[in-house]
Amino acid sequence: MTAALIARNTYREATRDRVLAGMTIAGVVFLVGVQGLTPLALGEGKRLVVDLGLSAISMLGLLVVLMVGTSLVAKEIERRTIFTLLSRPIARPTYLVGKWAGLAGSVCTIAALLGLALWLVLCARGQASWGPAVLQATYLASLELAVITAVAVMFSALSTPVLSALYTLGLYCAGQWSYDLRTLAAQFPPGLRAIIEALTNVMPNLPLFNMRELASEGLTTSPLHLGIATAYAALYCGCVLALASAAFESRDFK
Amino acid sequence: MQTSIVRSSNWPAPGRTEAETQESAILTRGLTKSYRHNWTLKISRGIEDLNLEVRRGEVMGFLGPNGAGKTTTLKLLVGLHKPTSGEAWVLGHPIVRPACRKRLGFLPEQPYFYDYLSGIEYLEFAGQLSGLGGRDAQTKAKHWLGRVGLGERATLRLRKYSKGMLQRLGLAAALLHDPELLILDEPMSGLDPFGRRDVRDLILEQREAGTTVLFSSHILPDVEILCDRVAIVMRGLLQRIATVGELVQSGEQRIEIRCTGNPELVVPPALADCLERRIRPHETVFLLSRDSRLHEVLAWLLQGGVDVRAVTPQRASLEELFMATAEGADVTHADERRSA
Repeated sequence: MTAALIARNTYREATRDRVLAGMTIAGVVFLVGVQGLTPLALGEGKRLVVDLGLSAISMLGLLVVLMVGTSLVAKEIERRTIFTLLSRPIARPTYLVGKWAGLAGSVCTIAALLGLALWLVLCARGQASWGPAVLQATYLASLELAVITAVAVMFSALSTPVLSALYTLGLYCAGQWSYDLRTLAAQFPPGLRAIIEALTNVMPNLPLFNMRELASEGLTTSPLHLGIATAYAALYCGCVLALASAAFESRDFK
Repeated sequence: MQTSIVRSSNWPAPGRTEAETQESAILTRGLTKSYRHNWTLKISRGIEDLNLEVRRGEVMGFLGPNGAGKTTTLKLLVGLHKPTSGEAWVLGHPIVRPACRKRLGFLPEQPYFYDYLSGIEYLEFAGQLSGLGGRDAQTKAKHWLGRVGLGERATLRLRKYSKGMLQRLGLAAALLHDPELLILDEPMSGLDPFGRRDVRDLILEQREAGTTVLFSSHILPDVEILCDRVAIVMRGLLQRIATVGELVQSGEQRIEIRCTGNPELVVPPALADCLERRIRPHETVFLLSRDSRLHEVLAWLLQGGVDVRAVTPQRASLEELFMATAEGADVTHADERRSA
């Protein structure tokens, strides 16, 4: 209940932020503008629109997380607004979960709006039947952004906004290349290989949430893939927030 | 004035029962907070071995100069800082449990709020976080906004509020859920005289309603008016706890004797150690530092044909006592450093 109140307030903060509104509008304009590039795609116009559209959703979401998420808790500590929250009967883990849920909700809302805009663009091109593929891809992109938001909230609770942004971006890149890192690990001697593989397991498995290839063909993925991705996102977010809560518990607010 | 340092590590007696912690609104035992610098690893004292009891229903003033450890103590009590050692209970619950803050209202020094919210939105949010239902929070938010004089600015975004208005809003947020205990950190700072009077009236109203209040302040006349007891903290150590009356009575009692004109009398050597003469336009004032010698002084004045207009006992103000305690603490600190 308390986490929901904090989440609602965080969501309200994000939705009242003119910068985020501007970024969402810019994303929609980009999706419509991509239409102008289709004549250059040599008959692959639909593929180009979907590919660039879904990439825009992921990149814009990541930008929002880096801009807002990495300073989410740090800003509250710096501005001392956290005093008025944590002096009430709120456990610190509840506070972090609420902040994460609020921002993840905002980012997913932006992703959903852009996904809808992408589908409308496809409808205008006579490809309304690609709706399920776009819906699934947007859903998976939202899960990916929820995972990155949890990582950003964790770093934000423990570090400065700039460092949090760097750490989050680093972990995002490492997560995107986690399959390549596993392949690379096989080239090393067993000891080092085990270490690299262990590190790769700790990093978020972000390729799991990427179905752009399928969606750009208008194809959907299996319910099993969606289920596994959902469970993985929930588990990863839970672990990251638990880690953040443990470290946040002993923090003093000056 | 002598300064007694309250540092006894065996107070309250070891093994306080659950019932005893329930009786007090606030109880601390050996509460200590120290900070370690990230780079130099140097440890600095925030508050040390604090043994403090605030009884239910009383108003206690928490005094001390800047950096004495007042805010550190208040933050420990409301869960914003974690103690280095020692224990504390708020309304019978250990301070480490969020439940202890259910019936607690806290106003931080220079409160900051979410500037994208309006006054009414913020108070509703604060009320719900303290456990009020949605409708109840809405009703109380409206009531308290009106009570602190912000009723007409209920829908104005907080970024447009002045400092004084934010202070009033903070107070409303602290009182919204009818707390049993109010902890206020410098509630009068940044307020104009009208705002100060309003805050004073609110605290008095809460005292009448049986709410326990612990507040820190630099404005000693307000402390004198509002508090049942006063705790003075210096350099992280609790120096004194006493009622305002006890503090004032323990101070130097002086008597002012006002006489017409400027008599040509010379203070006799026998009275020179306790009688001070001050010449003012159209009158002479004698300040007697020992009331036991009043008869002697009056007899001397009347024999000299002096027209005595008024004899007024003067008690030391809280401010003078506070300064004396501070000076005493400085001496103790210097002694500690020398012996170290």
